[in-house]
Amino acid sequence: MQPLGKEKNTYDGEHREPDKPLPQASRAHDVPTGSALAARGEPFLWGLGGALTLGISMIVGFIILILWNGLITFYPKPVCMATLKNSRIIAGEPTRSELYRVADEQMESLDPDVQDEIRANQGFASRTLYRTGNYDLYNEDFRWVSDFEVQSASMPPDIFFVERLEWGPFIGFIHSVRLRSQELKGESLELGSLYSEHLKAVRRRQDVRRIERSEIGAVNHKMEKERLALRRVALRHGEQSDAFQEAQARYQERVRALQAEYEQLHSEAESIKQNDAQYQVTLVDVSGREKTILLSDIVRFYPANALSTFQKLGVYVSRWLEFLTQEPREANTEGGVMPAIFGTFVMTVLMAIAVAPFGVMAALYLREYAKQGRLVSIIRICVNNLAGVPSIVYGVFGLGFFAYIVGASIDELFFRERLPSPTFGTGGLLWAALTLALLTVPVVIVATEEALAAVPQSMREGSLACGASKWQTIRHIVLPKAMPGIMTGLILAMARGAGEVAPLMLIGVVKLAPELPIDGFFPYLHLERSFMHLGFHIYDVGFQSRNSEAAKPMVFVTTLLLISLIAVMNAVAIYARNRLKRKYYVGHF
Amino acid sequence: MAEGIDTRTDFVQTISYPRKGEDGAVIEIEKFSLWYGSHQALFDNTLNIERGLVTALIGPSGCGKSTLIRSLNRMNDLIDGLRISGTIRFNAENIYNPDVDVIGLRKRMGMVFQKPNPFPMTVADNVAYPLRVDGIRDRRVLDATVVRALKAAALWDEVKDRLNDNALGLSGGQQQRLCIARAIAGEPDVLLMDEPCSALDPLATAKIEDLIYELRGRYTIIIVTHNMQQAARVSDNTAFMYLGTLIEYGDTRTIFTNPKHGRTQDYVTGRFG
Ligand SMILES: Nc1ncnc2c1ncn2[C@@H]1O[C@H](COP(=O)(O)OP(=O)(O)O)[C@@H](O)[C@H]1O
Ligand SMILES: [Mg+2]
Repeated sequence: MQPLGKEKNTYDGEHREPDKPLPQASRAHDVPTGSALAARGEPFLWGLGGALTLGISMIVGFIILILWNGLITFYPKPVCMATLKNSRIIAGEPTRSELYRVADEQMESLDPDVQDEIRANQGFASRTLYRTGNYDLYNEDFRWVSDFEVQSASMPPDIFFVERLEWGPFIGFIHSVRLRSQELKGESLELGSLYSEHLKAVRRRQDVRRIERSEIGAVNHKMEKERLALRRVALRHGEQSDAFQEAQARYQERVRALQAEYEQLHSEAESIKQNDAQYQVTLVDVSGREKTILLSDIVRFYPANALSTFQKLGVYVSRWLEFLTQEPREANTEGGVMPAIFGTFVMTVLMAIAVAPFGVMAALYLREYAKQGRLVSIIRICVNNLAGVPSIVYGVFGLGFFAYIVGASIDELFFRERLPSPTFGTGGLLWAALTLALLTVPVVIVATEEALAAVPQSMREGSLACGASKWQTIRHIVLPKAMPGIMTGLILAMARGAGEVAPLMLIGVVKLAPELPIDGFFPYLHLERSFMHLGFHIYDVGFQSRNSEAAKPMVFVTTLLLISLIAVMNAVAIYARNRLKRKYYVGHF
Repeated sequence: MAEGIDTRTDFVQTISYPRKGEDGAVIEIEKFSLWYGSHQALFDNTLNIERGLVTALIGPSGCGKSTLIRSLNRMNDLIDGLRISGTIRFNAENIYNPDVDVIGLRKRMGMVFQKPNPFPMTVADNVAYPLRVDGIRDRRVLDATVVRALKAAALWDEVKDRLNDNALGLSGGQQQRLCIARAIAGEPDVLLMDEPCSALDPLATAKIEDLIYELRGRYTIIIVTHNMQQAARVSDNTAFMYLGTLIEYGDTRTIFTNPKHGRTQDYVTGRFG
């Protein structure tokens, strides 16, 4: 009955915008007022908004917690000295206070007026956790002190916080210092000269370390190379052959030379050590117990209650520097996490290098080449499900397949001389990176497919109509246009991979790696080495160390660092993506 | 709608339509049918496109104009489940022979689409694209082609200072002329245009029509259009299609003034769409 309208519709069919809204009758009047609230959907709006708010506040709270705890950990705290009612004296950094319920048997041993006070408080009293340090003297680092135990408290200006290479911090006074034959004590003990003596001692320690680690390490490396070369000859020609006899003679000669080199370095280190042993400091704790240590065993010391804000900041910065650039000490609870930062970084980069071409090619095939049908749908569903497989399963697969099958075969083929100790036949950097690449490849595939699907068909047609082949079209038109989306997928994959710990524990991450995966020896990047990882470091420090209370701040700092590292890597990738976006916008041939 | 088109009407009358193409048919379509899966879109169409002339394809929406024009450079190959019968010969060679080089075929047939689809690169790179995919790297050749094609597409004056700007920054009409420049950069024999003006404003439409008039004779042009006046203005021959079938084909003036079929008459006079 609408000839005019119909005619127009057919004629204009292709011109009508499909999303042009159809005229709609206003429905406000039809809705019964009784159900108005539900009909208008406002309760849902509140619910949705509330869910969002809750989610955001949880994230913000989490970030604030990590940031706050991570950032204050290294700030020097004052040291409080407390005389208890039983006339014992303790000193330490008050770390936190809490209310606790006093046990009945403890109540009985208390003064009546203290008992009354606690009862007035419904059986609760407050107590403070002191970090007392001096683990070698007390067998504990931390001690709870109830407020009612305390007779008097003070902040002595001459009390020192001494960080040592071993046994954790020492809190107490400096009794005397011995510099070779000279003994400084009391008045003659001047802080400025002590600092400069300490600096010299640290330099001696570093010299010894350099000789022992790098120079002797290089000698050992050469010796190992000679041994392997000999072993190779033995494997090729047999131990009875002339070639082997010859090689053995050469080997012995070279090893003798290396041995001499080693002896020389060793004696050099020994002489520095002997000299160093003459610089000692005697510390005394608040109850008068003395402890003498080498000056070079001190990492850092400062008069905790006599620091200006500026000096405190100095300590703060130097602790951060140590944390970021040094190797861990004391079962990872002290020192730095440089190897872990390095390991996480190298592993993530390798993973990205592995996952990018793999995922992009798979997605290209699925989206651009494969005939869209049931098989492709099934594959797509499988890929998506792959993202839901628990990551530890990937770890098991990585160990079983990469290390024990692929790695063992590689060892058999190329590293015969090193057997039975495995080279690639055990967990390591490469296998960890590949395992994580496998774990994150669905993310890249899905993101790439989406990005490819978002490239307008008209662009492809335009290119094909110009006589471009399918591959040229993909290479010059589709991929550049999809690149930002692909990069986004890669960024997501990197973020996921960098934070993954469970599979790594099976396939290459160790508590303490003897060597970095990159060093000065050929081939410089050692893919077979085990490595340290920040995520595993957090687990190890927080839950596997002898003293979880001491490690707790380190957990926060390391978490902060891990999050920052991932954030930085993502920021770099996002920056690269945006540059790429602009670059591909204008000319790309 | 006004000025742009109205001013064109007087020049239309001055065109002298050649009756025949000079060297006969460049494309011969014979009993060509096409199915999208089980849906038949073209039924036994037979027509010859004459060399050097402008041929307009008209007909209501969904009658198969795009399908037919996209069959000529085998753009339909991209669609899964496509089936054809019959033959299309281009320069006497059946383009649906299995051993035909589809890429070479497309290089000899430039195509312009309904919506301008410049690539997200510079103006110059857009025009040079067909040469680049051909492996031509010589800067002088590329530059010369860019200038020639842009001039031929009547775009040179407007973009000569913006050759290294992103093509997406051009206006819709400029983009479409850029696409025409791109289509003729590779020196094709045939130019296929699928409603090249339907996304443009009247002024830009007039420019494209001028351009088609300019290019006439140099290229064989096949243009799909919805706009009857446009078909009348720019084409030498017109084919009217209805429901996948070629109803009438002939001299444009005849089709518009003295059609044989009632349907053609109804359509060109706007009595149905
Ligand atoms: N890719 C496709 N798949 C299935 N059917 C299609 C496809 N493209 C076009 N058709 C159908 O083929 C018929 C002709 O379409 P088309 O050639 O686009 O018409 P026109 O360009 O004349 O408006 C229409 O019925 C349309 O629905
Ligand atoms: Mg169409």
